[in-house]
Amino acid sequence: MHAADLLKLSGIVIVIIGLALRLRTTLVVMTAALVTGLAAGLPLFSSEGIFEALPFLTKPDQEGIINMLGRAFTDNRLMTLFIITLPAIGLAERYGLQEQAATLIRRIAAATVGRLNIVYQLFRVLTGILGIRLNGHPSFVRPLIFPMSVGAAEGELKARTAEELPEDIVEEIKAANSASENYGNFYGQNLSPVQPGILLVFGVLSGLGYVVSVWTLVFYAIPIAAISMILGMIQFWLLDRKYQNKMAGR
Amino acid sequence: MISSISSAVLSLNSVYVLTGLVLWVFAAMTLGDRANNRRFGSALFWAILAAIFVFGGSRYMPHWITGLLVLAMVVIDGTGGVLRGHYNESTKAEQAEHATRVGNKIFLPVLLIPLVTFGFALAFRPRYMQELFGLDATRAALVGLGYGGVAAMAACLRITGDKVRVLMNEGRRLNDAMGAVNILPQLLASLGVIFTAAKVGDLIASGIHHIIPADNLFLLVLATCLGMALFTIVMGNSFAAFPVIATGVLVPLIVKPLGVSPEMVAIITLTAGSSGTLMTPMAANFNIVPAALLNMRDQYGVIKFQLPFALTIWTLHVILMWLMIKLF
Repeated sequence: MHAADLLKLSGIVIVIIGLALRLRTTLVVMTAALVTGLAAGLPLFSSEGIFEALPFLTKPDQEGIINMLGRAFTDNRLMTLFIITLPAIGLAERYGLQEQAATLIRRIAAATVGRLNIVYQLFRVLTGILGIRLNGHPSFVRPLIFPMSVGAAEGELKARTAEELPEDIVEEIKAANSASENYGNFYGQNLSPVQPGILLVFGVLSGLGYVVSVWTLVFYAIPIAAISMILGMIQFWLLDRKYQNKMAGR
Repeated sequence: MISSISSAVLSLNSVYVLTGLVLWVFAAMTLGDRANNRRFGSALFWAILAAIFVFGGSRYMPHWITGLLVLAMVVIDGTGGVLRGHYNESTKAEQAEHATRVGNKIFLPVLLIPLVTFGFALAFRPRYMQELFGLDATRAALVGLGYGGVAAMAACLRITGDKVRVLMNEGRRLNDAMGAVNILPQLLASLGVIFTAAKVGDLIASGIHHIIPADNLFLLVLATCLGMALFTIVMGNSFAAFPVIATGVLVPLIVKPLGVSPEMVAIITLTAGSSGTLMTPMAANFNIVPAALLNMRDQYGVIKFQLPFALTIWTLHVILMWLMIKLF
């Protein structure tokens, strides 16, 4: 490996150190991007428009770092689209959405935090099989699954209000809800041939000269999807057991 | 004519413009929020993001301008310029009073968001629908999320009878609670593009190539799964890591010399990467944004919860791939 190559890895080092020191993430990521780009000898700007053939800042026929930054940021606006759902969720919360969802779940005696998360993970696997892509954290988890889980926890831990629940348990519920979405989404989506994961593998293998079938790819995705569901069930079931022990030990 | 109008309305771009407008309202309200100590910086931050949503990718905003604007946003946030303000939050008593008046009807607007998303995703599964409106299935779900948000706003106003001002202020409350974390997924995607252009992936693949002895199957499988997970942890995205590991490690070291079915090992390699996604703050949209969305105290709380699951399932990937190559 050449020294120039090692220099390119400095971006990764910056990210690791920056995140470990809990520096401001936006700043860390931007520094890593600029350093990596410059270390790889990329120009700052593309040689076009007012930057046409400008010395130092551009290189012929190479996309500039700033241009790449703008292009990728623009192309990935879809990741931030959830902002448009915030006003409705916020107003609904002002009118008691979370309390109402909790009340509804408290009436179902069988509802526990663990079971709710298991059901939600299975639901996400099902949507994956149906080829449906959802942005589950803003559309399901924050407005519905989290308040329902809090309601279930109130039942499990015999708390009369959400305020009576210990704070670390509420934090754990938030983490479990987010994880349940990720588990179901990541491993469930490969059970459909129209989902991006299968299409990516198909595309890359085709590019390498292998003729493969998307259905065979789906078939080989089944074992891991099954394992992910079993592991999720175990982790969420352990959560319930922890709460039961807490009650018994009181 | 009708089809061109409807495909303009049903495009991702129109949903971006709507999101931009919402952000501009947030920015204007922030500017008037005297409880926010950095109201000018905060307002500017959201106004820039709004402008990128409305004009990004159009001829009015070439990518170099967007790039410089992103740099400006990072500087504003980096100097502590994005803060929260005051939102006239409702008290618990008010919420309870509202809840008894509105009751279960409050679920309707919130259910509209997933329902409309769902509806769009389903409606655009048939190919003729995609061709008619020029919208593929992936984008359709996102357009659905956008219009779901709009439909939910309308329903919420109707059911509660509250003012648009209150609606937007509540949106701003949630948005400010997340703060600059909102743009992290987009920033990380940009970092990924620059990593790719700098050929960081090839470097990692060739590094693995050098270290691993080519005659030990278990070590080869371990290197593939480890490389995939590590590279995903760095990139925050298994889809960015897969082509690199597949071309650099999996195919030349396992598939070709051993004559293994590429389908069998390729998909397991991909999900070995997903196990990495569960462990990394670089996958901000899956791990950091949800923590912010739920106002978690620890921004790494989701990752910490996922860690035992991720390590277990990653180990099972190694064993499964090794067994499958041995047995079939």
